[in-house]
Amino acid sequence: MNLAVILILGAIGLGSGLIIYLANAKVPHKVQGTEKIEEINRILPGLNCGACGYAGCFSYAQELARNAITATEAPCTVVIQNPEALGCLEKSLNINLDASIINKKALIRCRGRSPVIFNYSGVKSCRAAAQLAGGYKQCPYACLGFGDCTKVCPQDAISIDSEKGVAAADFNKCTGCGLCVAGCPQNLIELVPAGTKIAFRCNYQPLKDIPGREKCQYGCTHCLKCFKACTDEAIIWNKDKAIPEFDIEKCTLCGKCIEECPQCTLELFTEARAEARPATHRC
Amino acid sequence: MSELFTIFISMALVNNFILVRFLGLCPFFGVSKKLSSALSMSAAVTFVMVAASAATWLVNNYILIPFGVEYMNIVMYILIIASLVQIIELFIRRTNYALYNVFGIYLALITTNCAVLGITLINTNEAFSFIESLVAALGAGVGFTLVLAIMSGIRERLELTDSPRAMKGLPIAFITATMLGLAFSGFGGIV
Repeated sequence: MNLAVILILGAIGLGSGLIIYLANAKVPHKVQGTEKIEEINRILPGLNCGACGYAGCFSYAQELARNAITATEAPCTVVIQNPEALGCLEKSLNINLDASIINKKALIRCRGRSPVIFNYSGVKSCRAAAQLAGGYKQCPYACLGFGDCTKVCPQDAISIDSEKGVAAADFNKCTGCGLCVAGCPQNLIELVPAGTKIAFRCNYQPLKDIPGREKCQYGCTHCLKCFKACTDEAIIWNKDKAIPEFDIEKCTLCGKCIEECPQCTLELFTEARAEARPATHRC
Repeated sequence: MSELFTIFISMALVNNFILVRFLGLCPFFGVSKKLSSALSMSAAVTFVMVAASAATWLVNNYILIPFGVEYMNIVMYILIIASLVQIIELFIRRTNYALYNVFGIYLALITTNCAVLGITLINTNEAFSFIESLVAALGAGVGFTLVLAIMSGIRERLELTDSPRAMKGLPIAFITATMLGLAFSGFGGIV
């Protein structure tokens, strides 16, 4: 009797499995446009993790089929890390997905050299320190070095340089999740494309009040020297913020802007360091 | 005919699945924030309930009872319902895309919903005939839709009310649900 139960259960299970298999293989795609969705769906990892912001891989595929640009605006982090899948997705969506632009990395826009103006001995947290008289450093926009960002980072990618009292992000560990951006009370951290070559490491906000030179040894003084030094037209001067912005594609990594910067605010972004000349490591 | 009507009213109102039998409470709170998604969810639940009732009635009467293995019905029903919903989803996705968009993601999600398993087990326990179990499932689905629509309508308005901060969201929804349950207890005894 027990054997009969086992056989019946097994037969029904096997039967339904077989029917699903046959249905999947034989049912024709009658609706126009769904072949494309199915094709995209096969490229996607099928984890249904929801990191892209859609309900699952299939609804992400639906959105991709409707609007291919979603692939760059809400990228699938799993596909991006797999060059083969990325290539397939590029081909099936017929758009160019450059991993160095879609992939984001955290850039900490402070070198932490602003002088200390009083001894802070309160709660060891940036958020607490920032609330006391605008922070214990002369520059009110400086990195406070208590590591609120390291606490939120799931990849252990951010560490605090205890000597300089400033956070540093590990390019290779960073996955660009953006948790540190929300975690920093000073709004120092920005997600930049992984292919960024020159990092502008100052968070100084000139329109507020102070000139950078007095507040910090490494603060931008808005002297425009980097802009004038660039021979490739890769620097665009942002007039509203009075800071340089960089065109990734035009920049040839000649390093002239870094050499010219009197304040050492500019620095090579981590990945580009290996390709550049050693002479640029002046600061 | 009046027998069928009694079953329908009993399932939809008197023994309402959510408020009287306490089945399908997860979608009741999880998907009742917006009227549109609540309707889409209840359409999917009703559809799956009817389909699952038909399939499990056939399996129960032509396989389980002849072989004397009715006691395995819970296991069998779970298997049947899960694979049935998979196949239906596949068919709908490939043949009728508008319908697929109406059901959305909910069709695949409710394969393991207790309301769906509940209706099939109730059908078996009450020893309903094929037509009777279909009507019972339809009634249960209509009752589910009714309660979910009422609840989501109330919750959409609750969002705008000035409820105390600690009560916002789920707490006020729980209180609303108890009042709704009390109101539905007024149907008790009409059949």
